Amino acid sequence: MAKTRVLLVDDDRELVRVLTIVLEDAGYEVLSAGDQHEALAAAARERPDAIVLDVMMPEGTEGFHVVWHLRRRPEPYFQNVPIVILTAIHSATPLRFYPDSTDGSYRAGEYLPVQGFVDKPVEPPALVAEVQRVLAAARAP
Amino acid sequence: MAGPVSPDAHEPAPSAILPVTQELIARIGWYIRLRWVAVGGIVAFVEVARRLLPLQLHLQLLYGVVAVLAGYNLLVAAAFRGLREHGRLADRADAAPARIGPVARFLLPVLPPGLAYGRAAAAAAVFANLQILVDLVLLATLLHAAGGIENPARVFFVFHVIIASILLSRRATYAHATTGVLLLTAVALLELRGILPHYALDGQWRADAFHDPRLIGAQLFVLAVTLYATAYAGTTIAARLRRREVEALVLSRQLAEKANHLEAAYREVRGAEKVKSQYMRKVAHELRGPLGTIKTALSVVLAAPPSALPGNQRELVEMAHARAGDLAVVTQELLTLARARGARTSVELVPMDLGAVATGVVEKLRLRAVERRVHVQAEIAADVGRLTGDPDGLGDLIGNLLENAIRYNPDGGTVWLRVDGTPGEVAIDVRDTGIGIPEDDLPRIFDEFYRSKTAREFAREGTGLGLAIVKAVVEQHSGAIAVESTPGQGTHVRVTLPR
Repeated sequence: MAKTRVLLVDDDRELVRVLTIVLEDAGYEVLSAGDQHEALAAAARERPDAIVLDVMMPEGTEGFHVVWHLRRRPEPYFQNVPIVILTAIHSATPLRFYPDSTDGSYRAGEYLPVQGFVDKPVEPPALVAEVQRVLAAARAP
Repeated sequence: MAGPVSPDAHEPAPSAILPVTQELIARIGWYIRLRWVAVGGIVAFVEVARRLLPLQLHLQLLYGVVAVLAGYNLLVAAAFRGLREHGRLADRADAAPARIGPVARFLLPVLPPGLAYGRAAAAAAVFANLQILVDLVLLATLLHAAGGIENPARVFFVFHVIIASILLSRRATYAHATTGVLLLTAVALLELRGILPHYALDGQWRADAFHDPRLIGAQLFVLAVTLYATAYAGTTIAARLRRREVEALVLSRQLAEKANHLEAAYREVRGAEKVKSQYMRKVAHELRGPLGTIKTALSVVLAAPPSALPGNQRELVEMAHARAGDLAVVTQELLTLARARGARTSVELVPMDLGAVATGVVEKLRLRAVERRVHVQAEIAADVGRLTGDPDGLGDLIGNLLENAIRYNPDGGTVWLRVDGTPGEVAIDVRDTGIGIPEDDLPRIFDEFYRSKTAREFAREGTGLGLAIVKAVVEQHSGAIAVESTPGQGTHVRVTLPR
């Protein structure tokens, strides 16, 4: 059986390398992307089993855009693929603000359609556990 | 940076003298009203005199002068209204610096250096001066109509001198006193020479007191002394009052300028604070990413099996991992501090439940407290913590207060958190049984990076940014903070926030 594939999206190449090692050691096949265009292209082409995404890339809210763009596509795959986001956003009020899907402005009260959160700086066991959790939830009937 | 304007600069500031000019203009109005009183007074006087006194009055001439006086006062009142509303007596006429002609300079009271009259003051002085002149002539005419030098009402020139001393300069007042004396002298001489008719009060030209030039001279001398003495007294008192008025004006102007400087300096400091916060935020933001990567990378190394990482290498990597963690905490706290100090404008105060935020913070810190063997007792009144605030900032505030209370507490110590409030404000109380803060350190505990000696000795970790964040958040919410501490016994911090 083919390995479970995870798409890792972050603009920090070193961090991508480190997290690739972490996820590969945990038994996943890792694809990587450095910005939102690469991320969307890779997701459409490769259809990974899960996506791990940094929310704060150079554009500030690029990661949010990736989420909205993926979820807006009509195929069921894009509605269902589990997404884990890496965030240094204040953990007391996780993601209280959710950038609008079109203009990047903040809009409160709607939860970002993602399945998991991992705080930055990333603790490797926490990342592995969160990826395992969302994959298991996605496979559950 | 604009150079500060010296408060005692000797630049004429016409607009600053506006109150003095306004006062002058107001007194002209009073003068016009007074003239109506004079009209009524003369009529009453004449009517009483002709009925009760054995006098022969030239009523036609007298009432002719009264009519002229009344008509002239109507014109003056209309002119005054017009000038005031549309013309040169309007306030704006004094707003621009103006060159004042020699006549107005002669007429206007002297101002201390640094102050100058504007156009409206000059116009008001000329206007007032013309009225006094006309009034002097009219009084001389009235006296001529009723006995000339014989008439005891000649002392009424005193009124004009007093009015001049209130409105005009000292020299202009003396000039009017002189004019009064000269006018009556002219009337007396012309009547004496027969050039003007003499309307004797008792119907016949009395040969005694008012027919002898020496006696006329004595009468005029007494009048002159009366008028000059009045001019002296009147101008002296008026000058003193005016000086007080100007002094008060100068003082208030200086105060206003000082207040402006203070405000400008304050704005400058605030601007510098903001630039500093933005810089702090950028630097911390740049550091945070690489630090996180380093820490995560070292975590991966540390996760290697013991065989892959010999003991002392593991120790070195653990050390590097721990220090990277410390730095990550500092950069995170710098970001939090920059945020609370307004480096980002997107922070909005929203309606929120402080109780819920406090509960979340307590849950997060529960593990830390267990590790440190410190009991945390939270008493959060239900629904009492509703206010308008920044939930993230207030979470930081409570978190930092609780972390300090836990960190600087000995084994087995206790921390109490209490959130309650009144209809107007919410109170957050954090008490501990910790090491306390020496009194000498209290004034500095809110400085960024400041840690007291006792704090540094007691706990290695701690950035010295926690209380700076607390203070910034309190200020962001226009709240207040109070700290009481007894070294060796504990500390009580109370934060109050308006709802």
